Amino acid sequence: MTIFDFYIFDRNGTCLCYAEWNRKKQSGISKDEEYKLMYGMLFSIKSFVNRISPTDIKDGFLNFKTSKYMLHFYETPSGLKLIMNTDLGAGSMRDVLHQIYSTIYVEYVVKNPLCELDKPILSELFKSKLDEFIRSLPVFASKVS
Amino acid sequence: MSRQTARAGDPRKVNGELFTLTYGALVAQLLRDYEDDEEVNKQLEKMGYNIGVRLIEDFLARSNTSRCNDFRETSDIISRLGFKMYLGITPVISNWSPAGDEFSLLIENNPLSDFVELPEGHTALNYSNILCGVLKGALEMVQMDVDVWFVQDQLKGDNITEIRLKFIKRLDDAVPAGED
Amino acid sequence: MADEILFELLHMEIVGHLQRSSQKDEQDQCIAKLESIGFRIGQSLAERFTRDCSRFKDELDTMKFVCKDFWNTVYKKQIDNLRTNHQGVYVLQDNRFRFLTHISSGKQYMEAAPKYLALPCGMIRGALANLGVNCVVTAEVSTMPACKFQIQIQRG
Repeated sequence: MTIFDFYIFDRNGTCLCYAEWNRKKQSGISKDEEYKLMYGMLFSIKSFVNRISPTDIKDGFLNFKTSKYMLHFYETPSGLKLIMNTDLGAGSMRDVLHQIYSTIYVEYVVKNPLCELDKPILSELFKSKLDEFIRSLPVFASKVS
Repeated sequence: MSRQTARAGDPRKVNGELFTLTYGALVAQLLRDYEDDEEVNKQLEKMGYNIGVRLIEDFLARSNTSRCNDFRETSDIISRLGFKMYLGITPVISNWSPAGDEFSLLIENNPLSDFVELPEGHTALNYSNILCGVLKGALEMVQMDVDVWFVQDQLKGDNITEIRLKFIKRLDDAVPAGED
Repeated sequence: MADEILFELLHMEIVGHLQRSSQKDEQDQCIAKLESIGFRIGQSLAERFTRDCSRFKDELDTMKFVCKDFWNTVYKKQIDNLRTNHQGVYVLQDNRFRFLTHISSGKQYMEAAPKYLALPCGMIRGALANLGVNCVVTAEVSTMPACKFQIQIQRG
């Protein structure tokens, strides 16, 4: 099992944070374009999922799976979007994403007066806490096959 | 030994006072820096707004609440969870407008104005105006554009402190470029 | 009750407000205002603390009060180390100063540190003034979130 990469978008579609660990292949486009595509896809898939739903749903879009990887999505009521790509063995990452939000984003971005909430996160403390947390997860430990 | 404990008093109580005293020192400074009460009200609201947009994230992280279905649910969460969590009080919700888009929070013991007396000649000052800004900022982050203002204030001799909230509109996520 | 964060956010916003409303060349004035707001808070806080209790034995006893009870109330921890040269200079070291722990663990944002230490310096000065000790308080940071507060007693 492993974790490939991680994104945070604010509700304006700005990519606040991107980090990668075991990503073997890049998309071949600039990071800015990749962020735009990612946000656009999430926006569309969210509204599609809600529109097509046969009953009222609470959480909406949670994740999707390909034969090689899984994309996990968590959105706070304030519109912050956390996205993580893992391999197929990882299981649900919802709690993990919520934990990143509540113990790392809130602690080291929201409570840091020098971080503007609608700008990419420059804090090294935040980045190192995030990295430390991801590397400590059981799903991170196993080698990429 | 015993003196140590006697000296510290009730730590919990002093903790609450720390915030109240800090707020009091801020208002005193603003009254010195700005001549006009209206301007002080405006600055307090603006500061509250900046606090609100951050405080809401702390609130969501702690309470793990999801988006509200309607304004009534919002009013309930503000009073029972928000005020309770941060100020230790539960304002009474009342005076709903017929359309359900306006309500009041009634506060009997406003912790912000503990040991406060309004200085003379500041009749237009809304001492606790920061609360309006906090509510506005916090609600804006959960997609609600809301007007918030003081109707009554015990500091001014009213029987109760009343804050009114009016729902204006729902704010949507930014649509990505090139989408409809 | 989660009131600690209210104090933190309020302090953050007081700094932000004073900075926004002062010109670039008035940074000293901004620091001075923060210090004087802190002074007032420290004064009233010390008053509430010591309302019904006996006087302190001596200067060192007063300092210990600042390091323990006062620090605990404001920052939820005690000072990690207290030193004195016995000639009126006290150095209070906090290895994890609460206003800095969210900002950095190292040198990043170092230039911003003084703004977030001015009000705390004022609070120490205010509290001590209320307890009958006149002093000058300065703060020094070499690696965040650690911070040293130097208290210089003014006699005479």
